[in-house]
Amino acid sequence: MSISQAVETTGDGSRSEFRRGVASCAPVLFGTIPYALVLGAQATQKGLSVVELPVMTGLNFAGGSEFAAIQLWTSPPHIVLVVAITFLVNSRHLLMGAALAPFLRHLPRRKMFPALFFLCDESWALGLADARQRAAAGVTPAFSPRYYMGAALAMYLTWVAFTTTGALLGPMLGDVETYGFDMAFPAVFLVLMRGMWKGVAAARPWLASLVVAALAYLFIPGAWYVAAGAVSGLVSAWLMAGDA
Amino acid sequence: MIDPATLLTIVLMAGITYLTRIGGYVVLRNRVLSARATAVMEAAPGCVLISVIAPAFVSRHPADLLALAITFAAATRLSMLPTVLIGVASAGLLRHFIG
Repeated sequence: MSISQAVETTGDGSRSEFRRGVASCAPVLFGTIPYALVLGAQATQKGLSVVELPVMTGLNFAGGSEFAAIQLWTSPPHIVLVVAITFLVNSRHLLMGAALAPFLRHLPRRKMFPALFFLCDESWALGLADARQRAAAGVTPAFSPRYYMGAALAMYLTWVAFTTTGALLGPMLGDVETYGFDMAFPAVFLVLMRGMWKGVAAARPWLASLVVAALAYLFIPGAWYVAAGAVSGLVSAWLMAGDA
Repeated sequence: MIDPATLLTIVLMAGITYLTRIGGYVVLRNRVLSARATAVMEAAPGCVLISVIAPAFVSRHPADLLALAITFAAATRLSMLPTVLIGVASAGLLRHFIG
């Protein structure tokens, strides 16, 4: 990554720090665009309007949970299910925020709470890696808020703009299943899971989720298979953590 | 054109998501989580994602299962964009030729 080079040339100017954040996020943005287009196109298939989708991606701004919500979307939506699944997919933010907290002590709260709205996998990873490198290089304060906001806002604008573009283009494509576009969901989710991979032992709860969710899907009507699978995985993670 | 039920769902989603973003900072910053709690939180996103796509693993259509196997293999070694392209292309082509 270019973070190490960027740290060496760190300027004190706030504008250059912001720009450095945008630049370090650029490679990630190219990977995000197709993913955003697919989400937008799928959302219109599920009946969300071109107005409703950007409201979702702009207020929620957490791609994994939006994919899960769209996959489960019905008209009218199953509110409790969608919100619970959103919480479970995004529960990783709790750990991410805790990991970032030691670097945020010098920031006033009125800046903290708006900045945390833009916490996503990418802005967190870039911000934390940059803070660790600056700390190692003896730069204080280690965390650069403008660098973080540069990366985070680039990500935010790209996400909202391209999910909306996907929603505008979606109806022109017709039924996406006939082309195989629905396979984008398993593809996206499997790549996300590979990013979370921490060895076979840590992945055993995922297998429990898969088996229970598949059985529930086959034998229980409705969308309960997601809740059944997720809860089974969490319970097995709880039980298996005792073995180690 | 915003449906009230849709808007309510979105606002609740956004609220709970924002709570996860500030929760780690506000609640967990001065605490050491137990090994079990950490294991559960680390496993949670993967458990949800695999549960959402579980129906694809028990599809009744051979073309879909074959496409999923190809997508799975791609996901283990390629990045997001090529994996999505391979997944979509294999599903589209296999459905066309096998049905």
